[in-house]
Amino acid sequence: MSARRVAAITRRLLQQFRRDRRTLALLFIAPIVILGLLGYLIRGSQSVPAVGIANEDQGPIGSVFASALEQSSLISASTIQASDGDAKLKDGSLVAYIVFPSDFSQRAQAGVVAPEVHLEGSQPGTSAPVLQALQQALASMAASGPGAGLRFAPQVHYLYGGRGFDTLDYFGAAFIGLVVFFLVFVITIVAFLNERSQGTLERLMASPLRRGEIVLGYMLGFTVLALIQSVEVLVFSLAVLNVHNQGNVLLIFGMEALMVLAAVNLGIFLSMFARTEFQAVQFIPLVIVPQVLLSGILFPVSNEPKPLQVASDVLPLTYAVNGLRDVMIKGADLTWPSLQLDAGVVAGFVVLVIVAGIATLRRRIA
Amino acid sequence: MAEAVAVDVEDVQKKFGDIHALHGVTLRVRTGEIYGLLGPNGAGKTTLIRAIVGLVAPDAGTVTVLGRRMPDVDQLRNVGYMTQQAALYPGLSVEENAEFFAAINAAEGGVTEALELVRLEGRRKAVVSTLSGGMRQRLSLACALVHKPKVLLLDEPTVGVDPQLRVELWEDFRRMAEGGTTIIVSSHVMDEAERCQRLGLIQYGKVLAEGTPAEVRERGGSNNLEEAFLRLAGPREES
Repeated sequence: MSARRVAAITRRLLQQFRRDRRTLALLFIAPIVILGLLGYLIRGSQSVPAVGIANEDQGPIGSVFASALEQSSLISASTIQASDGDAKLKDGSLVAYIVFPSDFSQRAQAGVVAPEVHLEGSQPGTSAPVLQALQQALASMAASGPGAGLRFAPQVHYLYGGRGFDTLDYFGAAFIGLVVFFLVFVITIVAFLNERSQGTLERLMASPLRRGEIVLGYMLGFTVLALIQSVEVLVFSLAVLNVHNQGNVLLIFGMEALMVLAAVNLGIFLSMFARTEFQAVQFIPLVIVPQVLLSGILFPVSNEPKPLQVASDVLPLTYAVNGLRDVMIKGADLTWPSLQLDAGVVAGFVVLVIVAGIATLRRRIA
Repeated sequence: MAEAVAVDVEDVQKKFGDIHALHGVTLRVRTGEIYGLLGPNGAGKTTLIRAIVGLVAPDAGTVTVLGRRMPDVDQLRNVGYMTQQAALYPGLSVEENAEFFAAINAAEGGVTEALELVRLEGRRKAVVSTLSGGMRQRLSLACALVHKPKVLLLDEPTVGVDPQLRVELWEDFRRMAEGGTTIIVSSHVMDEAERCQRLGLIQYGKVLAEGTPAEVRERGGSNNLEEAFLRLAGPREES
C-alpha cells in the first residue's frame, strides 16, 4: 500500500468538491437547516392540548375538579358549554372536552368518579395527557380529604378513530401519500435529467414536438406507473397493515393521484436546475425534508411555532396530508369544505408546476 | 439565382457571455447540395447548426430554412438533426429508438428503410446499450433521417467511426443528396471536406472562405486543402 497513491485519491476527491460549490453548500448548510428546523419545531411547539370543561354538576365536586384541571400543567383548560363541545372538536380548537354531568357529585359520594371525556381522537398522542390530568386532579382530591377509596371510571367518547386507533393509523394516512410523492419525484427528476444529459432532449427540441407535448407525454407516462404504485400502496396499507379508514377508497386514490401529478411535474421542473444526477439527488433534502417536517405528518401544524405555521400553510404537502387524514380518519367526503380546500390547493399546485415546467423548458433553448 | 436556396443564413450574430460564437455569418446552401462546415474545434460550427435548427436564437441576423424564418417548430418536420454525441435512448432497442423518432415526426413508415440505409436492419432487436460506438453513430443517423427530411444537419457525424464505415456513410450522404436532400455537415477532417460540393471555412465565428473544394484550394494558394485552410485561417489566436 502506497500512502502517496492513497493521498492522490483523497486529494482528487477534495479538488472535485472545490469546484462543486453547490454540493459543498449542501454538505455544510443542510444539516444546520434541518436540525435547526427540528429543534425549533419541537422546543417551540405549544404541545399542551386545549381542553374544554363543562361543569353541569349540581353538587360541589364538579367545580373542585374543574378548578384542579385549570391548574394542571398537562392541559390548557377553558370553560365551555357541553352543547358546543362537538363543534369545537370538529373545528380543531379543542382536542378534548370534559363534562361533569349533573349527578357527578352524587355518584362520587357513592364512590364512583365518572366524568364524560370526549376526545377528538384523530391524533393518538393527545388523548393521554387529558386522562392523566384528570387522574392527577383525582389524586390531589383524594390526598386532601374525603376521596379515599374512590373508583375512577371516565366515560370516554371518541369523535373520530376509537379505542383501537393507534399511531400507525395516524401516520399511515399521511405516509400513503408521502411514499408515493417521494418516490415518484425522485424517479422523474433523474429520468428527465437523463433526457438532458444523454442529448435526446436536444433532439426532441429539434423536432416538431411542442414543449407542452413533451411535458404532457412525460406526465402521462410516469403517471401510469405511479398510479399502479398508488394502488399497490393503498391495498397494502388497508388490507395488510389494516390502517384505519373511515372514508371512500376512491377519494384516497384521487388524493394520491393529485400527489403523483404534483411529484411528476415538480421533478420535471426541478430537473432544469440540476446538471448531474448527483445534483438532482441533492434536491431531496432541500425539497422533501422540510415538507416532511412542516406538513403536519409528524407534528400537528396547529402546535407549531407561529412563524413555522406560515411556512406550513404554503407547502402543498400540508394540504395533501390533511386531506388524506380527513378522508381516512374522519370519513370526509367532497361536501366537506376542508377537503375541497385541500384538494383545490394540491390541484392548483399541480397546474403551477406544469406551467413552470413548460416555461423553464423554453428558457433553456433560447 | 438559378438554383433554389434551401438554407439561407444572413449575418447571424450570437454571443455567449464574452464569447462571440457567431460573428456575422452569412451563407447560402442550395437544394440537394452537400455543404461542408469546416473548422477547428470551437470555431462555431455546432452553434451555427443549432441556430439553423432554431435551438439557438441569434442576437442579430436571420436564418431561413426552405423559405421560412427560423425558429419555426412546424418547419422542423422537414429538418433532420444528428447531434455530435449519439443521442439515443440506451434502454431501448434499435427499432424502438427509430420508431420513437419516426413517431414524433409523424412518419411511422420510414423505420425499415432508414435502418437498411445505415445497415442496422439485422440488429433491429438489439438494445442500444449493447451496441458499439460506430453502431450507435449509425443508429443516430438513422434517427435523424427516419422522417425523410428535406434538410439534413449532421454535426460531425463520422467522429469515432472506423474508416470503412466512414466511406460507406459518405456514400449514403451522396445518394441522399442525389435524391434531393440538402445536407449540411460539419467536420474538421479534411478528406471529408473533399467530398462536399461546397465548403464554408469557419473560424472564430466567421466564414473565412466559401466555395467548392477546388476554389478553396485555389484561394488558399495550395493543392492541399489542409494547407489552404491553415493559410486562410492565419496564425492561431489565443483568446
